[in-house]
Amino acid sequence: MTPASLRQSPAGGSVVTAPIRWLVSWWEVILFGAVLMVLALSPSSWRDPRTRAALARHAWLDTAPILLGFSMLSALLTVVLTRIVVVTARSYGLSQYALEMVIRVLVLELIPLTAALFVALRCTIPNGAALAEMRRTGRFQAMRSTGVDPLVREALPRMVAGAFSMITLAALSCVVAALLAYLAVYQLTPAGLPAYTRMFGHVFNPSVSLIFVIKTVLFALAVSTIPMASGAYEHFAAAPSSRESAALQGLVRMFAVLLLLESVSLVGNYY
Amino acid sequence: MDPTPLQDSEPAAAPAVPHLAAKARLLLLFTVLLIGAAVLFLLYARGVFEPTQRLVLTTDDSEGVAVGMDMTFSGFPIGRVRRVELGPTGEVRILIDVASKDAHWLRTSSIFTLVRGLVGGTAIRAYSGVLTDPPLPEGAERPVLRGDATAELPRVIASAREVLENLTAITANDAALRNTVANLQAVTEKLKGPQGALHVLFGNEADARKVVATLERTNALLARFDTLAAKTDTQVFGPEGVVREARATVVQLNGLLADTRSSLKKVDAVLVEAQAVGANVRGATQDLGALRGDVEANLRKIDSLINEINRKWPFSRETEIKLP
Repeated sequence: MTPASLRQSPAGGSVVTAPIRWLVSWWEVILFGAVLMVLALSPSSWRDPRTRAALARHAWLDTAPILLGFSMLSALLTVVLTRIVVVTARSYGLSQYALEMVIRVLVLELIPLTAALFVALRCTIPNGAALAEMRRTGRFQAMRSTGVDPLVREALPRMVAGAFSMITLAALSCVVAALLAYLAVYQLTPAGLPAYTRMFGHVFNPSVSLIFVIKTVLFALAVSTIPMASGAYEHFAAAPSSRESAALQGLVRMFAVLLLLESVSLVGNYY
Repeated sequence: MDPTPLQDSEPAAAPAVPHLAAKARLLLLFTVLLIGAAVLFLLYARGVFEPTQRLVLTTDDSEGVAVGMDMTFSGFPIGRVRRVELGPTGEVRILIDVASKDAHWLRTSSIFTLVRGLVGGTAIRAYSGVLTDPPLPEGAERPVLRGDATAELPRVIASAREVLENLTAITANDAALRNTVANLQAVTEKLKGPQGALHVLFGNEADARKVVATLERTNALLARFDTLAAKTDTQVFGPEGVVREARATVVQLNGLLADTRSSLKKVDAVLVEAQAVGANVRGATQDLGALRGDVEANLRKIDSLINEINRKWPFSRETEIKLP
């Protein structure tokens, strides 16, 4: 099944009932994501220098401008949360558990989720809306008529750039949060480094590390694929007609998926 | 038309980025390095690059022991639990990796404890009393002593329940304490009555009255004793009393003693004179001794004279002895 045949398969909008249409639309999102994944992993997709250039452009423009801002935001969040947790834990005489709690809450849970939402709101949802606009104005049709697959040329670079941006932001923010949490607790001294390193190793046991990596990768895929699917799919069962509704639909679906992934990761980590 | 897709596809055309490819590569390199460094740090933190020594602790209950938990020595983590497994005889084997640089703290005489606190997780601790003992060999197997703060709770609760049951038994309706208190109340009532404590002591009113009567008779007896004492006083210390007569007798005795003393002084003088007589007799006796000496000397002279005469005399005996 080629991407072109996928794009042309109608879903029978008028005859199916609402729940089935809802299911079909989700199925199509999953299928679209799978197609993009296959395209991303196929060397043939990257043979065209214009696609590579598009990827480079999106990767830079989607990541670099927000890198500093998001790092500052996560640094602020880290300092405030660390302070609250450490002071509270000290008042209960449980300060030895404070740093571990900060790392678990911030690095494991909050920062990847925040990074995913930030990238979605800043990059991938506008990108999905741009795709919807192009599709609406007939840009896709024109490209297809010249023999260029719009999915490869337009959707794929945006999706890969979005995933890359999310992973970069999450990695940098986690490192910044870990450093700031150390500084907030031990100040500028290397004396606490052995204990901190050991605590880090204690928190990131193999199962937690695996869940963390899988969760971050799935977050990246979700925030980069779902808004594109909402904007780029031509024959969607509930295809949005305007740029705003495409953005809104992508946002809602993406939130639902992020919530589900976060819940599953919490269950995996703590049950 | 030959559109540049990147510009045409954007809703609002963005300006071209100078050195885009280089910047994108730099960004990719940055991300890869960041993630690689994070992974390396994590592996280091998990002790992957650290040479370790295996230690096996055996116990009968693995509750609270988790893979990855620390073993501490004097509060410092020196090892990690790598595996928890059941041994062939059903005992729990806790496999611990001890960092080689810290392994010298563990000696053959080291003690290992597994302590469960009320707050916080279980902790495995090592204690080395004699640090001069030989170091613990690789793969050593040691029993671990268990200490459980929560294990004491059921015993404490059982004791508390026992105490409460005793209290309930003591304060029950038919309990001895309640009867005692009732009796005490009756006693108090009697104490407040006309006979007071005597009623309590003797139990009935008649005996209490007897005691009162006895007391009254004792009082009368005491009054008679009082008059008797007054009369005795008159007899003894009165103007015609015994004491006065005794005093006169003592005065007479004093006079008698003075007379006796003067008599004794005279006897003393007689004795002095007798002593002088004795002294004279002793002097006379000494003169007699000298006289006797003279007489003896004269007699010796006469004796030697007679002997001389006898020798010189013609009829003297032949004193020379002639041997044959």
